[in-house]
Amino acid sequence: MSKKDIAATMHIKRSAGDWIFDIAVIILFSVFTFICIFPFYYLLINTISDNDLVTSGKVNFIPLLKNAAGDGVFGVQINNYLALRNVQDLGSSVLVTVARTIIGTALMVITSAWAGYLVTKQKMWKRSFWYRFLVITMYFNAGLVPWYMNMLMMGLTDNFLAYIIPGMVAPYNIILVKTYIESIPASLEESAIIDGAGTTKVWLKIILPLSVPILATIAIFGAVGNWNSFQDSLLLMNNSPELYTLQHRLYIYLNSSSNLGAMMSQGGTVSEQAAASMLNQRVIQYTVSMVSIIPILLVYPFMQRFFVKGIMLGAVKG
Amino acid sequence: MQASAKPVRMAEEPQSVAQRIPLWIYRIVALVAGMALFFPPVNPGRVSEKINSAASLFTTGISYSTITNSMGRILRSQWIQDKDITLLMVSCVILMLGVLFCAAGACMSLGNRRMRRTGMLLPLVGAPVMGVGLFMIYRVYTSIAAHAEEVGKASTVLPILPTGFTVFVIFAALLFCTALIAFLSTRVQADDEKMNMDEKYRLFLMMLPVILLSFIFAYLPIWGWRFAFFDYKPGGTIGPDNFVGFKWFGSLFNDPATVRDLVRVLRNTLIMSGLGIATSWLPIAFAVLLAEIRSTKFQRVVQTLTTIPNFISWVLVYAIAICIFSTDGFINSFLTNVMHVEGANTNYLQIADHTWLKMLLWGTWKGVGWSAIVYIAGIAGIDQQLYEAARVDGANRFRCIWHITIPGLMPTYMVMLLMSVAGILSNGMEQYLVFENAMNKDVIEVLDLYVYHIGIGQNQIPLSTVVGISKSLIGVTLLFAANGISKAIRGESII
Repeated sequence: MSKKDIAATMHIKRSAGDWIFDIAVIILFSVFTFICIFPFYYLLINTISDNDLVTSGKVNFIPLLKNAAGDGVFGVQINNYLALRNVQDLGSSVLVTVARTIIGTALMVITSAWAGYLVTKQKMWKRSFWYRFLVITMYFNAGLVPWYMNMLMMGLTDNFLAYIIPGMVAPYNIILVKTYIESIPASLEESAIIDGAGTTKVWLKIILPLSVPILATIAIFGAVGNWNSFQDSLLLMNNSPELYTLQHRLYIYLNSSSNLGAMMSQGGTVSEQAAASMLNQRVIQYTVSMVSIIPILLVYPFMQRFFVKGIMLGAVKG
Repeated sequence: MQASAKPVRMAEEPQSVAQRIPLWIYRIVALVAGMALFFPPVNPGRVSEKINSAASLFTTGISYSTITNSMGRILRSQWIQDKDITLLMVSCVILMLGVLFCAAGACMSLGNRRMRRTGMLLPLVGAPVMGVGLFMIYRVYTSIAAHAEEVGKASTVLPILPTGFTVFVIFAALLFCTALIAFLSTRVQADDEKMNMDEKYRLFLMMLPVILLSFIFAYLPIWGWRFAFFDYKPGGTIGPDNFVGFKWFGSLFNDPATVRDLVRVLRNTLIMSGLGIATSWLPIAFAVLLAEIRSTKFQRVVQTLTTIPNFISWVLVYAIAICIFSTDGFINSFLTNVMHVEGANTNYLQIADHTWLKMLLWGTWKGVGWSAIVYIAGIAGIDQQLYEAARVDGANRFRCIWHITIPGLMPTYMVMLLMSVAGILSNGMEQYLVFENAMNKDVIEVLDLYVYHIGIGQNQIPLSTVVGISKSLIGVTLLFAANGISKAIRGESII
């Protein structure tokens, strides 16, 4: 009997109190869910409506365009997104962020898969010591400034490598991979070893294909983390604005008191009128925000499958 | 188990003490030399005071811009010639190659006799290569000194033979001698098998790059704690002349301005963490109530949509805050255009009232759906027979929740709670950094943000290091305490 069937049989007699409770819970969740997603929707409609109407606060629940009389009617436009091409410095941030998301995530996944496999090897010299050596770094850090001085010492300031190399060893992900590999029947590995495969070959031919689900999990979480990265850019890239990540760039846009429209470079293919309406700072902020949210929303449906696996495995430490 | 783990071919006679000692000295020196590549204080390539003191040998070899970034006029006027710098970089690369050879030899020294012997040939080449590199650095030094003398700028260029130079000479000599002894004392016998290495060392060497990366980025920062004991200014140096002992630690308690800041910052930190802990039952309530809804479709939709905010960065949360709460945000336009309220143009983000509560609400908005997932999974894992039995015994749904669901979730909750108590000083800084403004600065600055402000913003490296050290040590203590409590109560450790 499934849980639902049980619930059905259990709830045959429902009192008035039960009904009120159920309705209250449904209303509660509906309101909270609305609060969770409405801001995203509001952000979206503000980027696809007529900018004058946005400025005057007319766009509240549906996207509006102006009709001949100047009143708002339902409609959408994407000029704001097209005009982003002319926003200064945005292109390099997008490029840097995409590059670090791809390279950084790939390196992190490979390292985690490799280290996670090796720490399952009981034969390794001082295995449990080295495993603890890696894991303990999750609970202890030297502090922000010593970390910064260390990066400075390594020459990893104003350097793209600072985005990808320190993130390669992710202890939590190593634990996830290790736990997963330990659940793979050892006989598979043993038979490959009997057939003469070495450690690297076993890893490539047996372990990697079998641990695709967990690697996909850490890859997708790692990619989101890289896409959202802000702090390392803020701390390390002081003299290299061209290496700012998208979030850092957005942070600067959100805080700039000057009119962002003035930051638009001249020329471009956008008509003068569109460019003039882009002089609206808020709209640029909203549009850039939307651009950095969209990729997350796009991968979100794929991520969902991995949520529970990611969290539940994490609960099994060791 | 032990016996089967050892390969059959271990018949080889064990190494004598006389063989082992030079090998161990060799391995340790090779490891230290390898790490010294990344260690600016022993950079042998810093042949002028004007070469960036933060540049390690590795950096000197690969990054022209780093070593020259504090030279300015010296370089423009060619008081140090470009050709000398190029030669310096080349010699550093040669020196590093030598170290690399020696490191490879150290790796091979973990193998069987034949492999050890072959491995010891590498430093017999590598150490002389290091010697060549060092000699070339010496030549660059004399050339720079001569040129500086020639243009009469010796006092500006300040050529020196750095301590690192001596250190690396000693490394090269030690590596060469120990390798030679080890090589000579390891005779190859006719019946030796092919080169081979015990699996335990082979696995270790495969793991070594990961261990080193972890060491460099997670352990080496602890070396930065030394700044806490010096009057260090960015760009300056540390040495016996500005050693101040525990002065900065003392200033946490003695200096009135610092004490005032710390009290304020700690108050914010503890209150915000405390609010977080006080509301840490919310995800459980979320999960329990959601499980009470009978439509699984509704459950799934709610779960999907409420988890989204967890995956956007705090900067984006701030963007959303702007679009809802700023002067021209949703609240104000709604009040003006829909409710026709006059003069609704408050910028709610600039109001410092109830900042702690607002931060808590943002945190909840972002995190509650996500935190609930672990409990939702927990509820799904509770044995349904418990509920059936309780129903038969006449329990209503609230009794079922209270006596079955909640106790079933308690172990997970205890772990989460103990972890958040252990992390009471670490709120992270992103949330507070993005929401900070002139109005709410006093009430929003938490410890992490304070460290950022004084360390990176105001360049007070020693003071911020001291605060960071104290925070790390307290954090570790709390973690062990929480772990101890967990062991005592639940018989399970949380770390």
